Amino acid sequence: MSQDFRLNNIGMVNRNKKISFIFNGKKYFGYEGDTIASALIANGVHLVGRSFKYHRPRGFFGVGVDEPYAILQLERNNERDPNIRATEQEIFEGLEVKSVNCWPSVNFDIGAINNFLKMFFPAGFYYKTFMWPPSFWYKIYEPFIRMAAGFGEASIKHDKERYEHKYEYCDLLITGSGPSGLASAYAAAKNGARVILAEDKPRYGGSLLTSDVNIGNQTGIEWSEKIITELKSMSNVIVKNRSQVFGYYDHNMLVMSERISDHLPKTQKYLPKQRLWYIRAKEVLISSGSIERPLVFGNNDTPGVMLSSAAKEYMKVYGVLVGKKPLIFTNNDSGYETAIEFKKNGVNPLILDTRKEPSSDIITEAKNLGIEIKFSYVVVAAKGYKKVKSADIAKISDNKKDLSNIENIECDCICVSGFWTPSIHLASQSGNKSEFNEKIDAFIPKKSKQKENTIGSANGKFTLEETINEAFDKGYEVSNKITENNNKVSIPTVVEKKSTQHDKFWCVPLPKGKSYKRFLDFQNDVAVTDIELALREGFRSIEHVKRYTTLGMATDQGKTSNLNGLQLVSDIENKVVPQVGHTTFRPPYTPVSIGAIVGREVGKHSKPTRKSPMHEWHEKNKAVFVDAGVWLRPRYYKQGNETLFEASKREAKNVRKNVGVCDVTTLGKIDVKGPDAAEFLNRVYTNAWLKLPVGKARYGVMLREDGIVMDDGTTTRISENHYHMTTTTAQAANVLSHLEYYLQLVWPELNVNVVSTTEQWAGAAIAGPNSRALLMKLFPNTDVSNEGLPFMGYKEADLFGIPSKIYRISFSGELAYEVNVESDYGNFMWEKIIEVGKEFQIQPYGTEALSTLRIEMGHVAGSELDGRTIPHDASLEGLVSKKKDFIGKRSLSRSAFTKPDREKIVGVVPLDKTTSIPEGSYIVKDPKAKLPNPKLGHVSASCWSVEYDNPFSLAIIKDGKNMIGQKLFAMSPLKNKTIPVEIVSSHYVDPEGKRVRG
Amino acid sequence: MQKYSVFSLIKNAFSDHQNWEVAWKDPTPKKEYDVIIIGGGGHGLATAYYLAKEHNITNVAIIEKGWIGGGNVGRNTTIIRSNYMHDDNALFSEFGMDLWRKMSQDLNYNVMFSPRGIINLAHSDAQMNAYSRRGNSMRLNGIDAVLLNREEVQKLIPMADFSDNVRFPIFGGLMQPSAGTARHDAVAWGYARQADSMGVDIIQNCEVTGFDVTNGKILGLRTSRGDIKAKKVGLCVAGSTNILAEMLNMTLPIETHLLQACVSEPVKPLLDHVVTFGAGHFYCSQSDKGEMVMGGDLDGYNSYSQRGNLPTLQHVLTEGIAMFPFLSKLKMLRTWGGIMDMSMDGSPIIDKTHIDGLYLNCGWCYGGFKATPASGWTFAHTIAQDRVHELNAGYSLNRFNTGDLIDEKGLGTKTWIS
Amino acid sequence: MLYIFCPHCGLRSQNEFAYGGDATVKRPELNKEISDQDWDNFVYLRKSPRGKHLELWHHISGCRQWIKVERDTSTHEIFKTYKADELTE
Repeated sequence: MSQDFRLNNIGMVNRNKKISFIFNGKKYFGYEGDTIASALIANGVHLVGRSFKYHRPRGFFGVGVDEPYAILQLERNNERDPNIRATEQEIFEGLEVKSVNCWPSVNFDIGAINNFLKMFFPAGFYYKTFMWPPSFWYKIYEPFIRMAAGFGEASIKHDKERYEHKYEYCDLLITGSGPSGLASAYAAAKNGARVILAEDKPRYGGSLLTSDVNIGNQTGIEWSEKIITELKSMSNVIVKNRSQVFGYYDHNMLVMSERISDHLPKTQKYLPKQRLWYIRAKEVLISSGSIERPLVFGNNDTPGVMLSSAAKEYMKVYGVLVGKKPLIFTNNDSGYETAIEFKKNGVNPLILDTRKEPSSDIITEAKNLGIEIKFSYVVVAAKGYKKVKSADIAKISDNKKDLSNIENIECDCICVSGFWTPSIHLASQSGNKSEFNEKIDAFIPKKSKQKENTIGSANGKFTLEETINEAFDKGYEVSNKITENNNKVSIPTVVEKKSTQHDKFWCVPLPKGKSYKRFLDFQNDVAVTDIELALREGFRSIEHVKRYTTLGMATDQGKTSNLNGLQLVSDIENKVVPQVGHTTFRPPYTPVSIGAIVGREVGKHSKPTRKSPMHEWHEKNKAVFVDAGVWLRPRYYKQGNETLFEASKREAKNVRKNVGVCDVTTLGKIDVKGPDAAEFLNRVYTNAWLKLPVGKARYGVMLREDGIVMDDGTTTRISENHYHMTTTTAQAANVLSHLEYYLQLVWPELNVNVVSTTEQWAGAAIAGPNSRALLMKLFPNTDVSNEGLPFMGYKEADLFGIPSKIYRISFSGELAYEVNVESDYGNFMWEKIIEVGKEFQIQPYGTEALSTLRIEMGHVAGSELDGRTIPHDASLEGLVSKKKDFIGKRSLSRSAFTKPDREKIVGVVPLDKTTSIPEGSYIVKDPKAKLPNPKLGHVSASCWSVEYDNPFSLAIIKDGKNMIGQKLFAMSPLKNKTIPVEIVSSHYVDPEGKRVRG
Repeated sequence: MQKYSVFSLIKNAFSDHQNWEVAWKDPTPKKEYDVIIIGGGGHGLATAYYLAKEHNITNVAIIEKGWIGGGNVGRNTTIIRSNYMHDDNALFSEFGMDLWRKMSQDLNYNVMFSPRGIINLAHSDAQMNAYSRRGNSMRLNGIDAVLLNREEVQKLIPMADFSDNVRFPIFGGLMQPSAGTARHDAVAWGYARQADSMGVDIIQNCEVTGFDVTNGKILGLRTSRGDIKAKKVGLCVAGSTNILAEMLNMTLPIETHLLQACVSEPVKPLLDHVVTFGAGHFYCSQSDKGEMVMGGDLDGYNSYSQRGNLPTLQHVLTEGIAMFPFLSKLKMLRTWGGIMDMSMDGSPIIDKTHIDGLYLNCGWCYGGFKATPASGWTFAHTIAQDRVHELNAGYSLNRFNTGDLIDEKGLGTKTWIS
Repeated sequence: MLYIFCPHCGLRSQNEFAYGGDATVKRPELNKEISDQDWDNFVYLRKSPRGKHLELWHHISGCRQWIKVERDTSTHEIFKTYKADELTE
């Protein structure tokens, strides 16, 4: 197999390992260590995609994260990964990728018709049209535009990959393993600091991989290999490649994504695809380097036009030629390095330098090598549609405004260098306001807001000597603040070629009569004319320009386009760049997989699941569970082919007739202890608590300070200074925080402690007329008679040798008890209750029956206490003490809470006694009234009354107490139902409460 | 003013787009205005527009500290809906829906209002009941609402998680078919362009530094570009409300909080609706560019910083994957933050104040974008007539004294819990 | 993610804490006459400055103590933290 563009004696890919992969259905070969981009270029493939708006042909522009063009769709393990950058993705055996945003193929793309109509599609054209007829936007125009947009196709299958999270703490995090990263890591590690060195690429060394320099009498590559090897061997250093620090957050928290198996053929079991590192660093050194800027000229988006540094890296790292007739177009010395590299590999480049008469070591070297150089020359336009075939070039006047005669020269690639832009993203994310440096025509970080320093070319230092010196010093300085080891290593000597000043010129004027598109943002097709139009239309703030033209909003986030955009705005507006300012840098630096951000909390693990100790028993006994917050509770126990409705009716009936048992473990439980516990409860609850005797329970309601009911439950006085509080399942955590708030901040003088005991106790509610008889058998040694254990009484007892607590409380309205044992004995307790209860026809009941039982008793629950009701609304005003003060009392006197027609809970019965009223229905006077139809209130809960065998609902309606006896309508337009109803008391069953006391 | 249309676009194409006029001018502030609106966001621009259009008051200035549309109108998730339970919210928002439907034509600016429908997913019967309550209230208020069962939801959004490996299975959902999205920047620009054409001065890069209040009456403002007199002043500054209130010695029932949102890289059309997760707080839609636009919880502590932290997004995206497992394979492209004026009952305030001539429009929490036209319309009415309109009567400041709160979620004063 | 110094436990990540809002709100004494306005101000008005803010955090996944944190709301910088019984007046 021959690869026309592969060089033999250069590059770092593994020539011993050939790898085949498929691009657009065709098989290609590359070597281990190739990216898709380098492998395709080696095979002479340059057309890989189409642009977003005009569908112009797209090739490769860069060699890494800054790539705006080469976005592909990857297929692996029968999964699709959309929007992969070909310049980053390493090839592996069996890799399959294809072009996106083109149809039917990348070679012949129907969408390219946009390119011929582009005169009608300037920036923001869609704001000016598609308005008539009004209904057409959503129905016709928009679907068409949507189809045209987007890149890859997302698979809707579940992602089978595994992503992990890791938390790490270090003294010093260094982002980037170029010369400054290596030097500072070495200096700091030798000084005893715990260092993490992160490198985005597979290979360490950054610019040292491609530059012709000498450090400490070794080549740059040799030096970097030596340093990395030593760092890896040190126990205080973590070195990570394929790891991008993408976000700098508050308090020196940085986040890094490590690509663990993205480059491997098949994910091994247990090997995660990616790992997200949350790193809390005492100090950060940002050594993320710089990105080469494009020069702007006509059709500068043609495949084959690419950054000169990329061309050099393709040669030196991958052994790949981007062209055999290269044209180098530069405004600084960097282009010469690329040209020399071409020359060394037997290819004759032509250099066009915008500068008039520059001189430097490297220019002299190029001349000596016989490389042809044209000074004061520019590329006017690239020629060729799917690949550069030639270039129109011209001499440019000294004021850079006029072009002389245009010549056409043949070439197959144009390598551009418009000088360098420091990657200040992380510094900027940390809160560091950048400043414009006129010397390099770019922004560099200013004053640190967090514990960070930027070094090397990311800080605008473009000579290696400066970089190395600064990095060694900084590495020592910041590490010594932490370790105080004073161990300073010596700085190696650096030999490099000196460069001369770059040219500030970067945008080639249009020749007369030509209207070439000169692109700034290559992915979003933003051209010079678009920026000009935006400014002409008054979009003058750089943020307006960005939003109106979409400059810098593509998936490369403007890494190669932002600064040129700024320069253009400042040129046109006659401002200096710093006045224009730049748009805000926000995380992530490069797009991050959402799967990696989320980690392992997916599927059933997206939230925790809490189960009671009796869960297995419920499962074995055909319980159907319901989510109650994060708890799972039995909703009903299915017998045969029963429906929910049938089962819950059976269970509820059995409670009313015999006895039932319900798992109430999920209720919140809080121990309240201390000499002032009674006083505290008296302030927390609306009713009186000072005189509750030991061994007695009381129902209480607590409010928020705004007078709204927060929670309800029973609290029992276990001993003189010890109370056992119960809360609803939903509010357990909030109530504990609420109590702690008052004890610690408002009334610290109260000597009370609270602690959650929810997990300590397993609870079973035993309810029904047979419950006492059952209890007598369960606790033969304890007096559970009505006198021995009266309603709201409490006793400690022995359950077959297990210490247990019996509370005589009732939610069902029947004679009922709640038995608690320590959680570990929960299942034992439950099985005993079931076993002993057999002779009393015991059945377990779930939340649905529980709900039925409480609704027909008129007991309120979460659907009534929904954060909007005051005690009066739930008919709990009897529990509101007039004598004492308590949390929220003062709010109850507000006018809206005391108005005569304030809402109140009532019962609702359908007149036909058969039609169930859907929950969430509204009570209205006139179902045919014109909309908006005035609503009296809503139906909060509905059940089938097992007592009366007809539907019964609770509703909270205006002036509820005076509505009893009225004939009204319950309406559920969603279910198309209008039901004539009668308003009755909310206490539908046993209104006097005889049963609970019996 | 130039009319925008397909014809003007073609015409201008042949003159190389050299003849487009500025969308709005860049005037120097006058000495005095009849009305000054502080805040060049969506609500401020809309207020100025409706002052001119509905009340013929055109001697109006909008004072903006930065650039217009740079606040929450330019950094939201573009959702437009009126699926509220409380009458005050529902009727106000539905009035706004009518304005949205006509907005592109009214403003001669394509704001891309796209009624793609919003689906609120329910993950339990209890939640289905709660949604029924909301949906029935909507229907009785004349707003469209449909209750969907699991199968109906699956038909509309098959990419949601209907598998067995799910923590909170989908039971169904509540849908408002007429809800949707719009292009947020275009809303600001469209209002600005029309307001400008009717004589409103849009003054950018002008920061308010103080107020001239004498004998309980507003007389004017001090700004970074000099003193400006005004007969009436309207405050429309969302997250910055408390900063201006402090200059006026007012404390308001509002806290300022940070809300983040993010978008994925663009993918081909997949999701047609706006969908919200019921077992948490997550919402998602797909933009015309193909990006998944996502948001959820507040960062959860007072903040005037527009930079949030990753754990909040991690939490939000965890719910995102729980709802739409396909999101796992997409990449998060851009994140941003906005500062929200969180009111103590979650509902806004559009009212007069104790200072004569000073009007207040704030407390939009994270629901301000959808309210832009209705807020502008009613605020313009309140300012022009010096009395509230019946649509914003419920949004009074003194509801925090009377107890007539509009607490859609029942969460009370813990504004940071969303 | 914020890094909060709990005076009882030391430096801990924000995800161990729950936020509690303005720490300067002072609950009126029980059983004391108070005007409607003063009460409503207590219930509904909060300091929400841009800049230094004294606020409550609850170390729910730690010692369960409420603490006071002085933090800048525009930079999120934390200046100092206090126990519940400090800065009471």
